[in-house]
Amino acid sequence: MIRQVLFAFALIPAIFAQQRNFIACPIVRDTKTVPCFLAEYEGEAYFLTIQQDISAELYPPQLLHEVLVEGTVAPGPRVCGGIPLKPVKLSVMPELNLACNTILPAEPGIEAPPTRRPAGPSTRQAPITTAPPPPERFTPPFSERQWKVAFDFDSAYLNSRATRMLSQVAEFAAAAKAKSVEVTAHRSATLLSNGKAVTEAEAVAAKRASAVADLLRGLGVDATVLKVSSVAEVSRPDGDNRIVSIRVSP
Amino acid sequence: MAMHKLFISAGAAAVASGVLILAQQAPSVWISPGSSGTLPQQMEFPTPSGKVGVLLANGPVEMKDHPFFTPIGTNGRACVTCHQPAYGMSLSAAAARELWNRTNGKDPLFAAIDGSNCPDQPQDQEKSHSLLLNRGLIRVFLPLPKDAEFSIEVVSDPPGCNVSSTYGLKSANPMVSVYRRPRMAANLKYVTNPAPRIVLKTGALSNSDPETGRAVSMNFMADAREATLTTQARSATLGHVQAAPVTADQLRRIVDLESQVYVAAPFDRSAGTLVEPGGPATLGPKAMADHRPGVLGDNDYDQVFLMFDGWKKPGPSAQDQFRASVARGADLFMFRQFWLRDAAHINSIGLGNPLKRTCATCHNHQMTGQDLSAGWVDLGTTNYPRWTEPPLYSESRELPVFKVTCKADALPHPYLGRVIYTSDPGRALISGRCVDVGSIVMQQFRGLAARAPYFSNGSAKDLRELVDYYDRRFDMKLSETEKQDLINFLGVL
Repeated sequence: MIRQVLFAFALIPAIFAQQRNFIACPIVRDTKTVPCFLAEYEGEAYFLTIQQDISAELYPPQLLHEVLVEGTVAPGPRVCGGIPLKPVKLSVMPELNLACNTILPAEPGIEAPPTRRPAGPSTRQAPITTAPPPPERFTPPFSERQWKVAFDFDSAYLNSRATRMLSQVAEFAAAAKAKSVEVTAHRSATLLSNGKAVTEAEAVAAKRASAVADLLRGLGVDATVLKVSSVAEVSRPDGDNRIVSIRVSP
Repeated sequence: MAMHKLFISAGAAAVASGVLILAQQAPSVWISPGSSGTLPQQMEFPTPSGKVGVLLANGPVEMKDHPFFTPIGTNGRACVTCHQPAYGMSLSAAAARELWNRTNGKDPLFAAIDGSNCPDQPQDQEKSHSLLLNRGLIRVFLPLPKDAEFSIEVVSDPPGCNVSSTYGLKSANPMVSVYRRPRMAANLKYVTNPAPRIVLKTGALSNSDPETGRAVSMNFMADAREATLTTQARSATLGHVQAAPVTADQLRRIVDLESQVYVAAPFDRSAGTLVEPGGPATLGPKAMADHRPGVLGDNDYDQVFLMFDGWKKPGPSAQDQFRASVARGADLFMFRQFWLRDAAHINSIGLGNPLKRTCATCHNHQMTGQDLSAGWVDLGTTNYPRWTEPPLYSESRELPVFKVTCKADALPHPYLGRVIYTSDPGRALISGRCVDVGSIVMQQFRGLAARAPYFSNGSAKDLRELVDYYDRRFDMKLSETEKQDLINFLGVL
């Protein structure tokens, strides 16, 4: 047991060594198929993602904006010329940066990973890249359920993944005749690989709370059972707290 | 009155034959408020390149005492003033010019309230109506939303209304005046097809019908400010027509009429008839009436404007050649890839910037080419530096320029930042959000030949200028042949 604990601690530096948290301009690499999105950190190019569509699990970054990359170096060959990061979280930084404007042409030997959705219209074989899972149907007996809605850095925008989840929350609350729907919003900070921390704007937690609560009310959640709060304090710089947690009690 | 009689007589003849066909784009096709007579079920009117067809799906309509055709307000206008069958249920700048010349500017179209650049200008002078005469634009005046995330200043104001002491931003009743094309009141089952309950672009609930509570499309009006055709008709009769509140029955009759009108081109001088057995199934007003709304066409098997395969075979005649060009244009629309970038509410909603896609990515609603979801986008036509001002035909700006400054705690415009120069803040005048500055709801592509100029600000005087704008805007590098193919394709819709 002691040996296992020591072994685990010994792994920690190695794990951190594989973590890449940085803010940089995204770089677009054209290919024969869809474009790849990369970013450079300390002279090395990292592969972030490819162009997909709105139902994808990971949204690409945007030129004219820096991107906050929080990823782990994945084993395997380079992808699209960059070291792959997986898992990876990407946040489009809200303010403009006109310097972020690089599109590299397609080059022989640099290919995007296979994708079902081509650059043009979708095809019969692949109407959409990653169809969302079918919505869960709620039946009794009901017990307390929790959800976590994740956000990009400094953002309160509810993307399509988030709104699908909130639709499920509302359906569960209605089916379970919820006596309480607690919405608690947070903000977070991220420790970058260069040792600096970046912290989200103080107001963003309240904006997240408001966005989620407004949508839940609109989806039919009884306003009298909705308890909404936001936590402006930042607990630890791990980037994991860019969330709104929701607890529904029958 | 004489012209009115001409129309009635033509209409009467048409009822007998079932189809009204007028030989020329002449004053006789203009329907004045207060007209009587019967609009036949099928009508065709000449356009510069062929004909526009109008189909009343539920049958002929008697104009007498119908609120769509009756001047129920104080300025002599009716709905039909700006939604003329001969102009695709909209209005062309050429028609406005012709009407001005014919009536010495006395037609109610030129009403001071919004048919002039500003009501406090001398109404008998042509220059006071320059935006309507040059671009077919109607003044839209809106207060700044109370909770707007931005402040707005007037930088320059050729029309003069935003600096007017009576009507301007610093008047006792502050208003922002912008100038927009009247949209076609046709094919509305597509335009009003309900969008998903949650708007992808905002992550918030869609607007809802105040009568039923159901989610609405948010896809008509340039700024999506009206929930339903009923609320739009109510506002339009109060505003454009300057009427007292209309009755529920009048509203119902207006909406009933608008909901049964289908418009598309049935004939093109170069392509010949567009509605023939075995021809492209998308063409002509009957196709618009028969097809179902709500179909996503951004795919290679059930395309936005269906298939033009039958026209692809090269033949010897000029008609064959033209039809082949149209078919190539349809393919370019569907499959010609380019870098779609810096378009707020397209690139900024998770698709990434840039996006290597095609025209059909955004113009994806089958049969109309609108967006199937709530369709406001900052294409760039109204915002510096990609705006259309001054238009190609003019050496000077004609539209006002505003400086929009976002508040520190607001989310900035995704590609223009916190200080934006714009000729029309678009959706932001309703939402109050910085991210929406310059975003305009897409328009449908049908009956285009009847209703130039194009874009919400009327800056593209013909389809060539429209295609040229997209070519510049997205650096598409279209060849001359590709441009002409796209123009021919758009022209037959």
